Amino acid sequence: MKKKIVAKIVTMAGIAGLAIALAAPAMAQQEFGSSELIAAAKAEGKLVYYTANFAEVEQQVINAFNKRFPEIKVEMVRAPGGQLITRVKTEAAAGKLIADVVDHSDRALMLPLVDMFQDYAPPNAADYRPDAQISPKLWPRATLVWSIAYNTELVKNPPKTWMDLTKPEYDKMTGQVFAQSGGTTWTRIMFERQVLGEDYWKKQAATHPILYPSGAPMADSMVRGEVAMGPLLYNAIYPKQKDGAPIKIFFPPEGVPVNPYSSGIPKTAAHPNAAKLFLNWCLSNEGQTFMIKELGNLTSLKVAPVYPEGFDPKVVKVWFPNFDEYVKLHGPWVAEWDKTFGYRQ
Amino acid sequence: MTELATPLQGARQETRAGRHRGVLAAAWVLSLLAILTFLVVYPLLTLLLGALTDTNPVVEGFSLAHLSITNFLTVLSNPNVGEALFNTLVACGGGTLIAVAIGLTFSWIVVRTNTPFKRFIAAASILPLFAPPLVAGVAWTILGSPKTGLINIMFKWLHLDLHVDFYSLPGLVFVFGIYYAPYVYMFTASALRNMEPNLEEAAEISGASAFATLFSVTFPLIMPAIISGMLLSFIVMLGIYGIPAVLGAPTNINVLTTYIFKLTNWSPPLYNTAAAVAIILMVVTGALVFLQQRVVSGRSYVTVAGKAYRPRNLDLGPWRWLTFGFGITYLIVVAVLPTLALIVAAFRKFMFIRDAASLFDMKQYSLMHFHSIFDNPLTLNSIYNAVEVGVITALAGGALAFAIGYTIHRTHVPGRRSIDLLSTLPVAIPGLVIGVAYLWAWIGIPGGLYGTLWILALAFIARFMPDTVKALSTSFLQIHRELEEAAWVCGTGMLRTIRTIVLPLASPGVIAAMTLLFVLAIRELGSSLFLYTSNTMVMSVLLLDYYEGGNLGKTAAFSLVQTVLLGVLIGGANWLSRGAAQGSVARTG
Repeated sequence: MKKKIVAKIVTMAGIAGLAIALAAPAMAQQEFGSSELIAAAKAEGKLVYYTANFAEVEQQVINAFNKRFPEIKVEMVRAPGGQLITRVKTEAAAGKLIADVVDHSDRALMLPLVDMFQDYAPPNAADYRPDAQISPKLWPRATLVWSIAYNTELVKNPPKTWMDLTKPEYDKMTGQVFAQSGGTTWTRIMFERQVLGEDYWKKQAATHPILYPSGAPMADSMVRGEVAMGPLLYNAIYPKQKDGAPIKIFFPPEGVPVNPYSSGIPKTAAHPNAAKLFLNWCLSNEGQTFMIKELGNLTSLKVAPVYPEGFDPKVVKVWFPNFDEYVKLHGPWVAEWDKTFGYRQ
Repeated sequence: MTELATPLQGARQETRAGRHRGVLAAAWVLSLLAILTFLVVYPLLTLLLGALTDTNPVVEGFSLAHLSITNFLTVLSNPNVGEALFNTLVACGGGTLIAVAIGLTFSWIVVRTNTPFKRFIAAASILPLFAPPLVAGVAWTILGSPKTGLINIMFKWLHLDLHVDFYSLPGLVFVFGIYYAPYVYMFTASALRNMEPNLEEAAEISGASAFATLFSVTFPLIMPAIISGMLLSFIVMLGIYGIPAVLGAPTNINVLTTYIFKLTNWSPPLYNTAAAVAIILMVVTGALVFLQQRVVSGRSYVTVAGKAYRPRNLDLGPWRWLTFGFGITYLIVVAVLPTLALIVAAFRKFMFIRDAASLFDMKQYSLMHFHSIFDNPLTLNSIYNAVEVGVITALAGGALAFAIGYTIHRTHVPGRRSIDLLSTLPVAIPGLVIGVAYLWAWIGIPGGLYGTLWILALAFIARFMPDTVKALSTSFLQIHRELEEAAWVCGTGMLRTIRTIVLPLASPGVIAAMTLLFVLAIRELGSSLFLYTSNTMVMSVLLLDYYEGGNLGKTAAFSLVQTVLLGVLIGGANWLSRGAAQGSVARTG
């Protein structure tokens, strides 16, 4: 008799457990949108994703999203920032914009296009820093942070601060991404001038840095030993360190410039529900945690779920650019930077 | 009565037939002109409009209200453009000299001498065609970097006091020269193969040495092919982005293409200025093309007539091992070393190489880059798309180029000069900028061209039309009219004459031109950048993505995949064309 009761209890507990186990994913999925949205997104089955980030990095994001929602295929078009904007503008003008999500690193370039986007906010909208947004329609899907990296095989006396990078002993050992390359680099040079001093560029230019069109080839050159050190976006170099490359990365004490992306859903999106679900997932705690841990991003959430390796929030000061200045100063300051570095007269 | 009527009726029928033929010819010319207008003139006008305004014509509408030459003035007063132009002319000029020296030597070795393993050398001399410029650039940065280059590491290991630096203009000239020699080779080899030997024999009977014969008879006779090859290689170098992008960037050496790419890549992008730079480049090239036509026109280069002949082989004696050695050296420099460099980079986990010992440390090698590129679904898609676009481009573009070439060189229809001019126009418009012009021009076309592989194919056909037509013209110039006239005398119609006489005789040229077009289409990067969409990503775009994504390992791994694929495809085409060449020789005999 006792045995029977025990068996019954076990069975009931099992059923209850199973019910909880079955309900859990459904509950968890609520985090990413209503069941209607999820059903509608699954019915659409795909979305077209335009991004200015690197295809390789975004492929990892898509794979992680597909672990959660395998039914939705994400087709990606990746182009460097300037080219992506031209494409979006031209396609939209011709009525042929096929993007369901546009994701861009330069918020200033996205600002004139705001009217092209539909109203959208993720379920956790209130958790985001308002200063990371330029419009309530556009969201900081990715937030990138600058760091300093060096090749441990080549640098025996490593730099410890931004100012160290200007030391004469590092002459011809440093690399830099040039100012004109896009929103993230513009944020860095703005930080250098506003925080590190008016003459910082000049001092740095005196060490004859090799100039790169973007952070990714510079990160690769650093691994190879073509340059020994320099400022790099953490997410451009972190994956290489993780794979075992002879690289060390640190967040300098003077502060680290941060560049939030700007992502939205065009009014013309053919797969608006899939687009919403994708952005909801990217902006959720799960999505942001993935990007921080695996890709080396930061987040624009008010409370970060985790921090990238080596990032101590008590020590490291993050620096967000003032958006008005970000737009206003761009032209004249970049021209001055070009002059200082002899990049383009 | 009836006896009288018949000749009259015959005459009337003949005039009717003549008129009928006239109408047909006019329709033919008009349809070719219409195709060329769509493919060439319209995008070029869009480009010109772009250069003369500061707006995006699709967004702001095609308006002539704000025309100004500000962009040209900005560009012309910018010393960086002058410097880029100077670097371009040095790199392409120097490169062309090397290319002609190598290409001509090889075609002579392969076609006219008894050098051992000739087939092998023939294959080696077109090998660089497999390598997309970006791949070549990447390979030579691995080999020739002043700091980390494998060549320098090996020199150090061998205790040699030598040092190379490919991040320099001489480095650029060298790489250009060795990679674009096949263009000269392809034209000159087919001209030599089709040449009747009796003039050379006459020279020798008159007592000229083999060397003197070569320079006073053989090379002057194939001058159109030499000039075509030379001009084409120069023009192709003008438009190359990958090699100067990789080798020039570390020391900030700009050529016009890298400068244009920078303009389009800046944030915000400066397309209108880029369009102005492109138009300056077009003017330079236009002048070159004009010069070439002045050189070639007014002379007869007919070397294939209706008589039987067999190309002869010169017995080099022991010197044939020298020519063989020359072939092997070229093979090592142009194929073996770069491939080894790519293999090292593709299989090595990281490219930090402390010394020669670490180069041979097998623990450093793995398949991780290959796993990771094939994990990416875009990789297989891009291969499939590139091959499909390549085939469409080669077939449609080859057919169009044949129609144009035949009309220009074998008929006297009015309007053929305009056709010649229009088909030559795209000659050196840098792909990066014309890509945007194609997008501007064609995106609005109803029927959903945008987003398909066809829009890419159309862009490639337009962009490489001059190359293909030039490649074919050489074959047309060599076929004597007497062969066609003979067919007409026998009452054969024009289409049948083309099919039974011209096409078989020109087939090595046609297949060579289609192969060239296929390769160019697969490698083309610039004009694809704006025309591909999520479904139509092609290999070259993905390769740039891997490169820009900063992963030399994956870039090298994908480069190897691409190289092998192109090698297999071109090998097949070459085998086909050799069959065709032998076939045509047999038929003329």
